[in-house]
Amino acid sequence: MQILAVSANSTFSQTTFAESLKLPYPLLSDFPERKTIRAYGILNERSMTAIRTFFLIDPQGVIRRKWVIENPGGTVVYSDVVLKGIEEVIGKP
Amino acid sequence: MMTGASRAARTAVRTRWGAGLGCLLAGGALLLSSPSCARADSTLGPLLKPLGLHEYPSRVVPPSLNGGTVDHQQLATRDLLGKVILVNFWASWCRDCRPEMPVLERLHRELGRQGFTVIGINAREARDVVHRYARELGLTFPLLLDPDGKLNTLYGVVGLPTTFILGRDGRAVGLAVGPREWDSPSARALLQALLAEPVPRPSAP
Repeated sequence: MQILAVSANSTFSQTTFAESLKLPYPLLSDFPERKTIRAYGILNERSMTAIRTFFLIDPQGVIRRKWVIENPGGTVVYSDVVLKGIEEVIGKP
Repeated sequence: MMTGASRAARTAVRTRWGAGLGCLLAGGALLLSSPSCARADSTLGPLLKPLGLHEYPSRVVPPSLNGGTVDHQQLATRDLLGKVILVNFWASWCRDCRPEMPVLERLHRELGRQGFTVIGINAREARDVVHRYARELGLTFPLLLDPDGKLNTLYGVVGLPTTFILGRDGRAVGLAVGPREWDSPSARALLQALLAEPVPRPSAP
């Protein structure tokens, strides 16, 4: 299992963010092109930022689950929801 | 009297500029990518580690520091070239920010003649709040306003205080998330090492 995080922020901004939260997984910068974010269909054209979304991709590279967070300020994403999705796709560890 | 820390600082400077000369001659693109440049920068590590600073191995260029200050001045990155800069993100409600302020003010006054400056960037507060805070603490270093949080976002700041150290070449050297003892021998050794670097020549218009 590999977690990758993608945002429309610069690598400079992401470095600060990762250091602040001591994140144990890589942050990928899609700035300034926003190619990946657009390709995944989650670019907010007004703010030019990514709509907060989780994608679960299987070992064959197929997107198996997607969670779109419509109200990122007010929505808490519980890990058990995502873990349940992972278990349904690749089975329990 | 030269302390152990200042000796380490001077050694670091000599090593960095000795090893880095080829990088500088090779041009801007290579300055960022050449492995020998990265090795030269890594000699700052011993000065960054005691302060618990994150090190930028290839000295990336930070976002521009253009904006208006609390006393209606305009600050532009080009005016700061050649200075060692401590960029401190803060807010008046931030409990850990407050004790750092008199220390930063002291360093700003003491090392200003050598080419050091502190720049405070407030997080989303009104001018009158920042003005009152600055007057109360007697702050004279530039305090940039960031009412919509654009600079905070560009720098990726999610917690306060967050502090960046920039070298005379304008590139990022270190990052501190949370408060630090900026008046400690370790911090002074780092600042002196950076101040000892040559001032880069301004590029042709």
